[in-house]
Amino acid sequence: MSAYIEWRDVHKAFAGKPVLRGMSLAVTKGEVLFIIGTSGVGKSVTIKHLIGLLPIDAGEIWFDGERVDELPERKLAPLRRRIGMVFQSSTLFDSMTLAENVALPLRKHGGMRHAAALDEARRRLAQVYMEEHAERYPAELSDGMRKRAAIARTLAVGPAGPAKPGQLHSGPEVVLFDEPTTGLDPVSARRIDRLIRELATSLGVTAIVVSHDPPSILGIADRVALLYQGVVHVVATPAELRASADPIVQQFIGGQSAGPMETPGF
Amino acid sequence: MTRFAETIGDAIVAAVRAVRDLWLVYVGTVAGLVRKSRVPHRGEVARQLYAIGNRSLVFVIVTLGFIGMVMTYEACLQLSRVVGDYTQVGPQYLRLVISDFAPTLTALMLATRVGAGIAAEIGSMKVTEQIDALRMSGVLPIDYLIVPRFVASVIMTLVLSTVGGAVMYAAGGLTAQYSFGVNPNNFYGLQFVRPRHVVMMIVKALSYGAAIPVVAGFCGLRARGSSEGVGWATTAAVIGSSFAVIVLDFVISAAALFVTGGDL
Repeated sequence: MSAYIEWRDVHKAFAGKPVLRGMSLAVTKGEVLFIIGTSGVGKSVTIKHLIGLLPIDAGEIWFDGERVDELPERKLAPLRRRIGMVFQSSTLFDSMTLAENVALPLRKHGGMRHAAALDEARRRLAQVYMEEHAERYPAELSDGMRKRAAIARTLAVGPAGPAKPGQLHSGPEVVLFDEPTTGLDPVSARRIDRLIRELATSLGVTAIVVSHDPPSILGIADRVALLYQGVVHVVATPAELRASADPIVQQFIGGQSAGPMETPGF
Repeated sequence: MTRFAETIGDAIVAAVRAVRDLWLVYVGTVAGLVRKSRVPHRGEVARQLYAIGNRSLVFVIVTLGFIGMVMTYEACLQLSRVVGDYTQVGPQYLRLVISDFAPTLTALMLATRVGAGIAAEIGSMKVTEQIDALRMSGVLPIDYLIVPRFVASVIMTLVLSTVGGAVMYAAGGLTAQYSFGVNPNNFYGLQFVRPRHVVMMIVKALSYGAAIPVVAGFCGLRARGSSEGVGWATTAAVIGSSFAVIVLDFVISAAALFVTGGDL
């Protein structure tokens, strides 16, 4: 299958310090791909490049047959309607209720009127079992609830969804998750995992997940890309990863402090 | 020597980039004002009018009131030592309050209170990725974060300058009357005030009101890292917006002198 999303020889440095050094990766449509690696290796940077939140220094990024790394900010809106992102922190806007948060992309991307967008937002919140909290502010909620509301906001872009609670309806064709289970209790984390899997299986959404969470990585990934020293060190299925004899892979998967892996700052 | 030259060169390049980025924020703000938005931010403008105007009212009244008292006291004290004639103190003071003190001192107060608030709020949103989330939601951050503050700041700087000027004048009058026995009929004379002074006040207040949220918003958008970055942005916003007020005061006053041929 041809690549749906592709990073080609991407370079990125911050204040002269290289982070990505010729990173290349291809993603096929409908798969759940995890990007793993040590902290500061450039995982979040990689996914932010795809949607123009960070510019690359060199290389190319392609999405669905179109080069996207050269798009100016004003031409990124159509891309951001097709690719949603759930950020590491919930990034809900503090001054808005949950319904208003979810209504914002419906108004801006979808062109809906305020009242209609709020009605639709309540339906979208019901899909992640958050309808009873629609009029509450983010500060009044737990991390897990905020994360679910943020997912509802990300999925809000697109056509009107079904009213049935718990039944997902995704607008974006691709959803990027930046450490979606970090800071959550194990039960909430597994619920988020199930939601990601359901998006891919039921709706054909392509999910790219940045994660450090071994149960998530080994439980729901179709493929896993290990980022190391600014390049993709290996791409494999979870089973292949477990069976790999590569000492770098084994050290990371096993969470061992001793080994050949160089970790900045240690 | 080479390293020193490189450091100087890097600083110049960084300064030029900062000025260019500030200009782009200003242009983006003006473009956001004239752009026909499908979703107006009237609620956000109302919230900012309250935050910038109502919540600064006591601060502006108290500071300008005290400054007015001190200035009048000092003026009367010096006059008592030299000529002992207070007849021109009030009318000349009013001319200065209208053409300069009221808008400039009000704006300097707003640069500290409002500028710091804007930079801290936007800076916090930047470091917690809320700005990126806005962009992903199809919202231009300048349209949503700076344009409503720009509108509110322009309106409220003019309103607060008027109120602050009135308080400053009244406080000065009371000080002159009770400390030096100046006749209120002499103090509260309007004979030196001309329409051009009122125009200067309006131009200055509008210019300061426009500069403060743009400079503070620009600093907030440049915040990096975590709380330290927000702290840096807040400090830079207070310094930058205060500096902008002082520079604009000089430029507008010089332009007024030029336009009127020195007849101010």
